[in-house]
Amino acid sequence: MIEFALSEILRLLGYRFFQYALLGGIVSALTCAWVGLFLVLRKEVMIGDGIAHTAFGGVAIGLFLGIDPVFAAFLISVLAVFGVSYMRKKGLASSDSAIAMMLALGFSTGLIVISLAGGFNVELFSYLFGSILTIDEQDLLVIAILGISTILFMGLFHKELLSITFDEEDARLAGLPIRPLSIAFNMLVATTIALSIKVIGIILVVALLVIPGLSALQLSLPFKKTVVATVGFAIVSMVTGILLSAILNVATSGVIIFTAAAFFLLTTLYKRLG
Amino acid sequence: MEKESLVVLEIRDLSVSRSNSLVIEDAAFYIHRGDFVGIVGPNGGGKTTLLKSILGILPCKKGIIRIFGEDVKSFSHWERVAYISQEATDFDPSFPMSVRELVALGRLNKSNTGRRLKEEDWRAVDEALNFMGISDISHKRIGNLSGGQKQRAFMAKCLVRNPQIIILDEPVTGVDAETQEKFYKKLSNLNAERGVTILVVTHDLTAVFCRMSKVICVNRKVNVSDIAEDMDPDQVLRQAYGEHFHFVFHGHVCEGDFRV
Repeated sequence: MIEFALSEILRLLGYRFFQYALLGGIVSALTCAWVGLFLVLRKEVMIGDGIAHTAFGGVAIGLFLGIDPVFAAFLISVLAVFGVSYMRKKGLASSDSAIAMMLALGFSTGLIVISLAGGFNVELFSYLFGSILTIDEQDLLVIAILGISTILFMGLFHKELLSITFDEEDARLAGLPIRPLSIAFNMLVATTIALSIKVIGIILVVALLVIPGLSALQLSLPFKKTVVATVGFAIVSMVTGILLSAILNVATSGVIIFTAAAFFLLTTLYKRLG
Repeated sequence: MEKESLVVLEIRDLSVSRSNSLVIEDAAFYIHRGDFVGIVGPNGGGKTTLLKSILGILPCKKGIIRIFGEDVKSFSHWERVAYISQEATDFDPSFPMSVRELVALGRLNKSNTGRRLKEEDWRAVDEALNFMGISDISHKRIGNLSGGQKQRAFMAKCLVRNPQIIILDEPVTGVDAETQEKFYKKLSNLNAERGVTILVVTHDLTAVFCRMSKVICVNRKVNVSDIAEDMDPDQVLRQAYGEHFHFVFHGHVCEGDFRV
């Protein structure tokens, strides 16, 4: 059995589409987990889910107009981020209400566009649940550009984001540029979701944002090590999920999430027993 | 006339409202470099509001606040001021951060945004940990600290900035008397050895009258008194707590305990 699995993995690694899938998956896992950890700590996970669902409208518009659906999803996600911020700032709605409204609006946009296009498009299904094995060179380029931007931003402003996450009032008193950093971070959430659409899909991206961070938090480590553990869990879940799904011939995104959840279970057990 | 060079904080004709009700009315006082000030008064009397106005967090209805001679609205040298809020130690205990990482956050400012902390920053972090006597727990997670350790960790975060003014809002709430006493002793040392100006909101009146140089009584009206040996604390405190309040003193004021 192990021999068969190993030979199957080696055979698959020889294919370009599989190499693209692994590369795209690793970049997506790294960025989702890093950004997601901050969302978990800020207790703002729902904004990730809301933006992801809003992106559905963007994908539909992109397919309808014949422009890159990921790019269209990114633009709509950014609009949603600013919409939520505006409603919060002006006191029009609380954070969760604003997110719920944007989520519903984005999804409705998608439905209207689909009906205008004359029915459900099979291609749209792959954006909802991901289609990592169909990642081509162009997709990989988009994922790489968005991924490098995210990694650079997170690397440069890592300590400032930590300060704002821990105590925003104190960070403001220290003179940190709270507003620009918060806007940039929300745009980063939109970027991360857009680059992960092909990898994991709109519906399941929130799991990749949340589960690795939650697993790492069970280990009770200091912050730097928590980030390393979060990213580590995400990448290992991604690679294991892709390989397992190829061997077992089942939906890749589902297996990735199950692998991530298995790590959560293990770390929780470790915490309870330790 | 106040000597301008020594004044670090100037409040003139200050009124502050919250939810349409006046919380601070016509406050006026000066704080000088090296002052050790206790801010006392009943709950809801406006102590925190006064601090938040000084820090520019709450807008004032009228009046002037000057820090180091500069209007608080345009003041930008916040690295000279350190603040520990009432809620600072009420963080989520699962937050993944070590004491050393927490203290290092105190080194962040506008000018080093987007840059790595330098060797000298980490040296300052270790010095602050050392000064507060918590070097041995620097790698401990902040969620696992006791109440007293949390206070010292947050004080180290304040000190690492080398501030000229430290503002503390009820820093010893919920810790035992011995730890409180040690904490105030540390503040006294800091004030005496480094000349740091300290403003503390507290209900520990013993600490105020035994260790501090000024007391500000706040109950919408703000009264400031210098603490001298021949002063009558009872009379001073009634300005804030009202005539119906009776303070029970056990022996000499600094040996007794007359917490409200």
